[in-house]
Amino acid sequence: MGEELAIELRGVKKAFDEVVAVHRFDAGIRKGEFFSLLGPSGCGKTTTLRMIAGLEEPSEGEILLEGREVSRVPAHKRNVHTVFQDYALFPHMDARRNIWFPLKMQGVSLAEAGERIRRVLRLVSMEGFERRLPQQLSGGQRQRIALARSLVDSPAALLLDEPLGALDFKLRVAMQKVLKDIQQGVGITFIYVTHDQTEALTMSDRIAVMKGGHVHQIGTPDEIYNTPATAFVASFIGDMNFLRGRLSAREGPTCTVEVEGETIRAGRCPPQVKPGEEVLLGVRTERVQVNPFRATEHTVCGTVRRIVYRGTDFEATCSFGAQEIRSVVNAVNWDPKLRQGERVAIGFAAADISLFPRTQESEIIQYSTEAV
Amino acid sequence: MHARLSPPRSFLRGIPITIWLLALVLGPLALTFLMSFYSTDGMLIIRRFTLASYARFFTDPLYFSILVKSMALALVIAVLAILTAYPLAYLVSFRLRRGKQLLFMLAIIPLWVSYLVRIIAWRTILGNKGVLNSFLLAVGVIREPLSFLLYNRFAVAITLTYICIPFVFIPVFTALEKIPRNLQEAAGDLGAGELRTFLNVVLPLSLPGLVTGFIFAFIIALGDYIIPLQLGGTQGIMFGNLIWSQFGFAFNWPLGAALGFILFGISVAILALTSRFGTTEGGFLSE
Repeated sequence: MGEELAIELRGVKKAFDEVVAVHRFDAGIRKGEFFSLLGPSGCGKTTTLRMIAGLEEPSEGEILLEGREVSRVPAHKRNVHTVFQDYALFPHMDARRNIWFPLKMQGVSLAEAGERIRRVLRLVSMEGFERRLPQQLSGGQRQRIALARSLVDSPAALLLDEPLGALDFKLRVAMQKVLKDIQQGVGITFIYVTHDQTEALTMSDRIAVMKGGHVHQIGTPDEIYNTPATAFVASFIGDMNFLRGRLSAREGPTCTVEVEGETIRAGRCPPQVKPGEEVLLGVRTERVQVNPFRATEHTVCGTVRRIVYRGTDFEATCSFGAQEIRSVVNAVNWDPKLRQGERVAIGFAAADISLFPRTQESEIIQYSTEAV
Repeated sequence: MHARLSPPRSFLRGIPITIWLLALVLGPLALTFLMSFYSTDGMLIIRRFTLASYARFFTDPLYFSILVKSMALALVIAVLAILTAYPLAYLVSFRLRRGKQLLFMLAIIPLWVSYLVRIIAWRTILGNKGVLNSFLLAVGVIREPLSFLLYNRFAVAITLTYICIPFVFIPVFTALEKIPRNLQEAAGDLGAGELRTFLNVVLPLSLPGLVTGFIFAFIIALGDYIIPLQLGGTQGIMFGNLIWSQFGFAFNWPLGAALGFILFGISVAILALTSRFGTTEGGFLSE
């Protein structure tokens, strides 16, 4: 149980004329899994979803739906449904008829479908809206009706293309919970496309992080966040410090790195990097402590350059040799006496350090300020 | 301050169009309406109120039977025009990726050519020594030229259908273009093939354009008198010809005006009936 695959992608590639949108996508998505495709716009996540839906044909590779090869099967013969970003409700049909549509295509009459429509409306908490036309519904309500329409005939998987993108922040957060609850309630596989890392982290069982048509990493939110496979993944998700250094030695799984004259031990080391080569050292901002109470594995000295108050926390940017390192400290633990220009101790642990080849530096996503 | 100034200003801006409408549309219409209540004595129009012209329409069976025939023919023409223009508009709008604009232009280009020239063109196509007969003779399908092609209702129907095609194509094409493409994808995604997507989604959503096209074609066909005159022969006479002849050699303007208003009334009634239908079914399109 749980290991049975709902969808399998084998070397799936999609090219539009000369432009390759998706390079070799390999993944097995388990039954009942909440699987997210995460990446910036143009990373190929929507194209991947559309290939699974049957709205695009892959140029190469195979797509298996419940063990059956479907890459040449048209959308209307696949047992998966898409929830479109702008919902794509039929404007000339009321909510009830919209939900009836997939059943109607299977030859179920409106009267026969009544009980199933009622049940799915209850599931999305939209009872009493049966006779409303889409234009008489708010964005969140349309979203729920679109969801109900896609769930009513219990498809093998639901494909969601940035379904919360058009909603405002508060509603989006509320709908995230609703979606997750529904998914757990019905036990249907969800494949969820988003560019919002928070959304992906909070909702998913597993995430595929994509950029420029390449899959950078597939893993659980914990794996993605704490052991990012590439500098891109590390920079795209969460807030990461990157320091330039040089690998000095490997010792089994760990290694040591020279950064600004300090020797720093890293808990993980990418296999392709050899001693003497330049590396990027990544450490999460919330793992960096300023003037730590207790001794940390590594302590370096720096000067406070900037302090930014951000409501729940403070961000202190400190110089570290010629480079900078940022520390995000919860407002509760913040030392209010700390001032700009002060010399401080900067502490972090070896286990919190990720190393990447220096060649990946160009892939780092730079946040000017923390993106909301 | 601006808000206070704007109502009279917008009022002023409305004056030219009001004058234009009054002088060029409503004025002549009102005069014709008045005319329909007059009568004639020889070459004189007697300006005294009478319902004689309307009474004549309802008592003389000739007028009524020609009106019914004309309406039936107009209906056939409107249906033919839809059957020709709708698939064309659908193909251009949904199936074409490139050259959409070009095909749209090609479909409406006949409107640039003089009405009379197009009628004469059809005469040269359908005539005894016309293009069609010559071709069929040359190929050997027929031994003698087909005579049923011209100077009858068939010729009127074919030519008027041709005239009406752009008037159906434009509103239908516009309605089809307004249908969000992801609705088509959504229908496919939910299990509908192309035919069922068309019947369940595209057709209902293009209904307002279809209704508009139908009204255009029907009214154009019902009121036309030049094509029946040129290509219809004696069998192809239509209600428009009756009206026209009252203003011409019969010199009975009041009767012509009365017949004209009866036709006008029918057109308005059809417009009222169908436009209501058109807006409720696809009301979102007018957003």
